[in-house]
Amino acid sequence: MSEEKTITIEVDGQTLEAKPGALLIDVTDAAGIDIPRFCYHNKLSVAASCRMCLVEVEKVPKPIPACATQVTDGMKVQTRSPVALAAQKGTMEFLLINHPLDCPICDQGGECELQDVAMGYGSDVSRFVEGKRVVPQTDVGPLIATDMTRCIHCTRCVRFGDEIAGMRELGATGRGEHMTIGTYIAHSVDSELSGNVIDLCPVGALTSKPFRYRARAWELTRRDGVAPHDSVGSNIQIHVRRNRVMRVHPRENEAVNEVWISDRDRFSYEGLYSDDRLTRPLIKKNGAWAEASWEDALEAAARGLRSVAAADADQIGTLVSPTATLEELYLAQKITRGLGSANIDHRLRQSDFRSEGPAFPWLGQSIAELEKVDAALLIGSNVRKDQPLLAHRLRKASLKGAEVHFVNPLGLDLHFDANQVVSDLAGMVHNLAGIAKAAGGSKVLAGRVSVSDEHKAIAKKLKSAGSATILLGNLAQSHPDYSILYGLASSIAESTGAALGILPAAANTIGAALAGAVPKYGAGARPAEKTGLNARTMLESPRKGYLLLGLEPGLDCANPALAKQALAGAECVVALTAYRSPSLEETADVMLPIGAFAETSGTFVNAEGAWQGFGGAVAPLGEARPGWKVLRVLGNLMDLKGFDYLSSEEVRDELQQACAGARPENDLDNTTDGEIQASAGKLMRIGEVPIYAADALVRRAAALQETKDARDAAVARANATVAGKAGVGDGDTVAVVQGGQRAKLVLRVDARVPDGCVWVAAGVPGSESLGDQFGEISLEKV
Amino acid sequence: MSALETLNKDELFTPEIRAEIDREIAKYPEGQKQSAVMAALRIVQDDNGGWLTQERMDEVAAYLDMPPIAVYEVATFYSMYEHKPVGRNKLCICTNVSCMINGSDKIVEHLNNKLGIKWGEVTEDGRFSLKEVECLGACGGAPMMQVGRKYYENLTPETLDSILDELE
Amino acid sequence: MKVLTDYFRSLFLLELLKGLQLTGRYLFAKKFTIQYPEERAPLSPRFRGLHAQRRYENGEERCIACKLCEATCPALAITIEAEPREDGSRRTTRYEIDLFKCIFCGYCEESCPVDAIVESHVYEYCFENKGENIMTKEKLLANGDKHEAQIAKDLEAQAPYR
Repeated sequence: MSEEKTITIEVDGQTLEAKPGALLIDVTDAAGIDIPRFCYHNKLSVAASCRMCLVEVEKVPKPIPACATQVTDGMKVQTRSPVALAAQKGTMEFLLINHPLDCPICDQGGECELQDVAMGYGSDVSRFVEGKRVVPQTDVGPLIATDMTRCIHCTRCVRFGDEIAGMRELGATGRGEHMTIGTYIAHSVDSELSGNVIDLCPVGALTSKPFRYRARAWELTRRDGVAPHDSVGSNIQIHVRRNRVMRVHPRENEAVNEVWISDRDRFSYEGLYSDDRLTRPLIKKNGAWAEASWEDALEAAARGLRSVAAADADQIGTLVSPTATLEELYLAQKITRGLGSANIDHRLRQSDFRSEGPAFPWLGQSIAELEKVDAALLIGSNVRKDQPLLAHRLRKASLKGAEVHFVNPLGLDLHFDANQVVSDLAGMVHNLAGIAKAAGGSKVLAGRVSVSDEHKAIAKKLKSAGSATILLGNLAQSHPDYSILYGLASSIAESTGAALGILPAAANTIGAALAGAVPKYGAGARPAEKTGLNARTMLESPRKGYLLLGLEPGLDCANPALAKQALAGAECVVALTAYRSPSLEETADVMLPIGAFAETSGTFVNAEGAWQGFGGAVAPLGEARPGWKVLRVLGNLMDLKGFDYLSSEEVRDELQQACAGARPENDLDNTTDGEIQASAGKLMRIGEVPIYAADALVRRAAALQETKDARDAAVARANATVAGKAGVGDGDTVAVVQGGQRAKLVLRVDARVPDGCVWVAAGVPGSESLGDQFGEISLEKV
Repeated sequence: MSALETLNKDELFTPEIRAEIDREIAKYPEGQKQSAVMAALRIVQDDNGGWLTQERMDEVAAYLDMPPIAVYEVATFYSMYEHKPVGRNKLCICTNVSCMINGSDKIVEHLNNKLGIKWGEVTEDGRFSLKEVECLGACGGAPMMQVGRKYYENLTPETLDSILDELE
Repeated sequence: MKVLTDYFRSLFLLELLKGLQLTGRYLFAKKFTIQYPEERAPLSPRFRGLHAQRRYENGEERCIACKLCEATCPALAITIEAEPREDGSRRTTRYEIDLFKCIFCGYCEESCPVDAIVESHVYEYCFENKGENIMTKEKLLANGDKHEAQIAKDLEAQAPYR
């Protein structure tokens, strides 16, 4: 079909072109003709239950709902005729019969669709004098506040749960006057996308709990931003009042986040105002922290780093968080390289660096293309929790018939049909090698693997699918054999024709690679003059001076024990941080307060390689300053050249020039055939980073930390066999031991964890002293 | 959610009930299992002494591969599904217009006095419970009531007494 | 002729006498002057004096933090912060009126859906120190408690016209 046929309809005397079969309401929306509606939403199925969009159509005896009517050629529609207006007015009067008049205490007041439509289409006086219906209060968790008395039964939330979140948690029970929307049995709504029902709800029945009663829609200034937690780079709107972030809403961008955002992006702003925000520069004097002026602190930082660099520039190591902005990352690498060192890395959670990895990795396709795949193979990925909106795209593909396969070290709760190949860490490599061998081509481990029918089936599907993709997730990137997994994935991609992609873990993982925050490549992903140490070797052979940007060593590193040891032994550790993190207090010498999310301007590069810039929404708290400014002054104080920027845009433009011609590329020319590091016989830790422990900001978001996902992370998990061997049962307190360090946790027997593995989350409080995220571990009865 | 996942379909209910539900499922096209939800709920309700517990509804949901909330929706929508214990004989008395004009109020009053229970209550011995229903389509014999699958028409307090005596 | 009449007018001080006639009339007429502060002028039920916040009879504050007064205030004199109280109800944690900014237009009173913010009959007040111009929630409630009887009477008098 080269050219789609269009038909002509007439709405209110205006002639409109439309595709046959389009919904009338979509056609009028596109033409800017306003039809009131409550239940209709263009991302959800049509319910036609609210009857607000009734319009008059010629030759149809009664008004019909525009949301459930397909256009036909020559259709003549009246949206404001007396018949249509009377129908709309009547519907409005019925809707208001049971709706309480509590707008003054309703958080939706001022941005309420019911208020707006009542003003536009309703009557000014109600004829209803009888009593109104009251629905008892229910509690559906820490994120969503409910006032179901206000519900008008549009069922948008129910359809959202069914169709988008893939978890039908809300339903409409009872009927007629007694119909209520709820969970029926009191329990919380636990989807990682649940917050979207707040936006969907046209009235104040579902509102944000952390935001409850705190501000009014008309008080808020809306500033555009980009979500800082995952590599989707969801477009958001930051709502600000009196220099304080009050809430976060999604901003529509069909190519990235459509109209949704994950709960992590929506509620993490609470972390901005946690008690341990660093608001003044601190210098450690004789082991005690003392507040200092910016001049003194910057001087101390510059002096410390310069003296280390003067003795041996190679003794400088820079560790940067991939959640930092592109500008910060670029300046950090510029300082490091300016001092003569090449030791800079953002891959804090990676432990296998046997192959360097691509210079400019990416998703391998655009985010929107992900929903069009026919087959997908995800390696080491809990995509649903790690990149919720990419999982949503995969779910859409799956519902359209795509086959999704996982090769994982733990079983997942998924919201779409998928085949999960679960095995321990070494088994993962073997499974993948099996698939590679079945796909025909890989030399890696070829002689040592057996190919099962399942492997053959997966390989066959990847080959036969019109469009297939192979994605390496967060768990794979932290896997002790990432380089082997990568090599196998790339050989499968090669022999099946599937697109190879990585699912970047953090908001700016790709940006960090572009900014040159890797030891082998400089800005613009060009090979650097000098290759330095990577994140792991920088800690294994400790440096004398460290520059840390935006990370918490105890929670953000693959091996926190190693990181803390290396940092503690250094002469000078300068930390640019938004938080007074305990592991920094232990190890750093100077802490410089920088602005966190929403407090700095900058750019994030998302999984598909799109540069998304944003301005600062609020001023940094206290004396904190945007990170790029701090780094600029630091550069000046160390007499480095080229640190005369006046705005973050200048920094970005300079980097953009360096990036000219850089193309994302996942193919590697050198694949390793090394030994499998993950030992098969021993008990291994699966150190997944739970959804609400991903970075410093979200760890401090109070409401998110009360969710089921966060509570479930504070335990150790093992299957019955492993637990039985250790002589412990479900609910027992156990000690997990790694490298002599112990942590006490409650054990949950969980069949999803494979044999030979214990699931102990990383990035959560209590894990700071443990060792490798995916390393040997032992389980002891307490 | 996870509690339900652990339910094994072959261990739900008794083999007889499973066979009965399977017979209902077979009436619908392949992959349309959830269409049998009403029949399944009825079968389970009959087995459970005339009313549904949350556990039973969860089992139906697991057996038909439905989200539990979808089963609750159906079970709360239709008034024939009971969510509280009922008596061995559920007296369903019509109080719609025809029956009301022909004296259903007196019938109800008589039952209230005789059994000592009101709408929705169960007698202490568990023999009777009282339920107000809408028109059952037997207006020709008003006032009427339904017990089990039987209609009793042209009720008077006297005939009611003899009917109640017969019911166990 | 005109010259002649003007001459006699000024000769017999006719204008002066006319003026004195008016003075004389008011000298014996009923007096308007009030001996403030011993005497006070009557106030309309709609008089807009110092602000007050009211309570319900059970002692519960009326204000529900809807922020309509803050939104409607043309002088931006009102500042409100709110959050859920322990019992879950919507309450202000801060309610301040800056009397230096306030123009006593009465819009706050007009917009209040629960008759919480009102303007009382109090018009005698002064500030001795900086900061006293801010009517805090405590001050507003105290003022309301003190003059509740008068406020209630005034609101009742106005009720038919609202």
